[in-house]
Amino acid sequence: MSAFFRYLALLMLLPSLALARDADALMRHIDGLWRGKTSQATMTMTVTTRRYERAMTMQAWSRGKHYSLIVIEQPVKDKGVATLKVEQNIWNYLPKINRVTKVPSSMMAGSWMGSHFTNDDLVKESTFEDDYDSQITFEGERDGQAIIEITSIPKPDAAVVWGKVVMTIDQQVLAPYRAWYYDEEGTLIRTLVFDQWQQQEDRTIPMRLSLTPQDKPGESTVITYHDIVFDIPLDTDFFSLKTLKRGRITP
Amino acid sequence: MSPSSVQDLSGSRLRIFLFMAWRNLWRYPVRSLLTVCALSGGLAMVIFNASLMTGMTRQMVVYATEVSTGHIQVHRQAFADDQDLYATLPWPWLEAIEADFPQLHVAPRLYAAGLASTTETSTGVMIRAVDAERERAVTRMLGQVRQGEVALGVIDETEQGIARYGVAVGAQLARNMRLAPGDELVLVTQAADGSIGNALFVVTAVLNPMELNFDRMGVVMSLEAYRQLMFLEEGFHELAILLDDLDQLEAIQMALQDKLALLEQQTPLDEWGGPVQVRNWKELNPAVSEMLAVSNSMTLIIGLIIVALASLGMLNTMLMAVHERTREFGILMAIGMKKHWLLVMVLLEALCLSLLSAVIGALLGSWLGLRMEDTGIDFSDMMPDGYDWGGIIFEPVMKGWLEPSHVLYASLMMIVVALLASLIPSWRSIRLKPVEAMR
Repeated sequence: MSAFFRYLALLMLLPSLALARDADALMRHIDGLWRGKTSQATMTMTVTTRRYERAMTMQAWSRGKHYSLIVIEQPVKDKGVATLKVEQNIWNYLPKINRVTKVPSSMMAGSWMGSHFTNDDLVKESTFEDDYDSQITFEGERDGQAIIEITSIPKPDAAVVWGKVVMTIDQQVLAPYRAWYYDEEGTLIRTLVFDQWQQQEDRTIPMRLSLTPQDKPGESTVITYHDIVFDIPLDTDFFSLKTLKRGRITP
Repeated sequence: MSPSSVQDLSGSRLRIFLFMAWRNLWRYPVRSLLTVCALSGGLAMVIFNASLMTGMTRQMVVYATEVSTGHIQVHRQAFADDQDLYATLPWPWLEAIEADFPQLHVAPRLYAAGLASTTETSTGVMIRAVDAERERAVTRMLGQVRQGEVALGVIDETEQGIARYGVAVGAQLARNMRLAPGDELVLVTQAADGSIGNALFVVTAVLNPMELNFDRMGVVMSLEAYRQLMFLEEGFHELAILLDDLDQLEAIQMALQDKLALLEQQTPLDEWGGPVQVRNWKELNPAVSEMLAVSNSMTLIIGLIIVALASLGMLNTMLMAVHERTREFGILMAIGMKKHWLLVMVLLEALCLSLLSAVIGALLGSWLGLRMEDTGIDFSDMMPDGYDWGGIIFEPVMKGWLEPSHVLYASLMMIVVALLASLIPSWRSIRLKPVEAMR
């Protein structure tokens, strides 16, 4: 009798286990979409607030999920300002005063370079797989698109800001459409829209990310990738304070 | 008998009774002295307590106004609510207010959030920019120096020719970041135009604790340094105002409101910043003003408790005195003493006791209170940085302040309560029946 129930329970559990594994694999895919083993990208970030609109062009390098370096090229006022991320640490290099400052953990929720992205996004975005339990919550057609909806809930011990992240992904090319970020009370805080898909080698990458905060209507941050190349030779040495202090940053 | 002779008679009677009461008191000098000790000690404590409370409230008002807040502050609503960087008041308004209210001292201030770094640490800070000259006329903020000497101008230049301005920092911030005068501080913020504001500064002074937030994260700089860091030209965030005559607080507040409404008509402000708010220090520090409001009643209640306890001694003494003199009272009544005269005699005894106690207690209390004005109670061993109430930090030295009216009221209160307590035994004395009493 009890053996039968155990079998039944196992039978009921199996599909959800398989789905969970699928969701994790999908999130790993999304995590690595813009990254590859190493990557180099040029992009423009346009920040629109009700007070000003600012476009910044920058170069970004990354290696794995733990190393990245972003240098601002335009506008002239901020030229050369660089952000280095090594594991959980963020440093800023300020060429005008020729100093490197570390962003303390208390400032992780603060805005990154005046955008609607936080410093935390820079550090934590890559760790969807590590910090969240993801589940496929919908699979099928929505608004004429065949999508998979994945809901990610932070693991109990994960130090993350969000209470829930919901993402929709195209069934065919596995590129993301949208992501909704909720706080712990379940209130929608911000929406991230991915578009301008482009085929890059083996994957489809959205070349534009538009972030709109829910509480500030009319404001947004849009990141547009101009070009992105993967698997170029980049040492971990490149992602160091030494590179920052050298001023001219080239691998 | 003419009315005047009746008065004479009762006047001389009163003298006789007073004499008797006084003599009766010293039949048991130890007991009477103990009662005087209890009552005068109680009174002295009440006066001492009142002087401490008055001193504390006076200190609170000074700290809530003259140290860093001023008596009145003007903000835009969005700044008061969310520290909105763009919610400024136009610079020409400053001159307009100064021209219209020459009797006021005004100081404009600007604020910003930023990231402060040294080579070892970095932390979030609150930047406050002040006009040093005007600020000194309004508050003592720049005078509250613990270490170094406040200098907010250009201190020196780096090798690349970047000017380093001087800043003063809060004591707790200095401790957390291990800052001392002469150290370099890097400030990174988001400037008003969205760019990354960054500049080098030199710490010239560490300021004593004044406000909780400021102590933990405050960095004071000059308006010029702020402009170069933040690219915010339009106006200022806060106007701190000091009055010479505090009685005019409400009137000035109203007049300012009217003036600002007029200015707003002439140069309309952007809608995002919200309306202009004129608030006085009580509205700015509700915790402190509520504390002040209850402190008078607290002094009164504590005083009543102390006096009531001391009066129990009086009650006991008089009960004993009446009890042991039952026979005597019986005889007095038997030889024709009126009952109400008996009551007067016992009450006079109580009055003598309490008057004596009032004089001794008032002298002792005043002496203690005056001593507290000079020396105060120093808690700096326990609380080296003072204590905070409603975000304002107070000195760890409690100073007294002796109000002559408090001495008078406390003495009167003591006499009244003591007499009320002695009503019970005196009442017992007149209910005696002469025959039973003599038995």
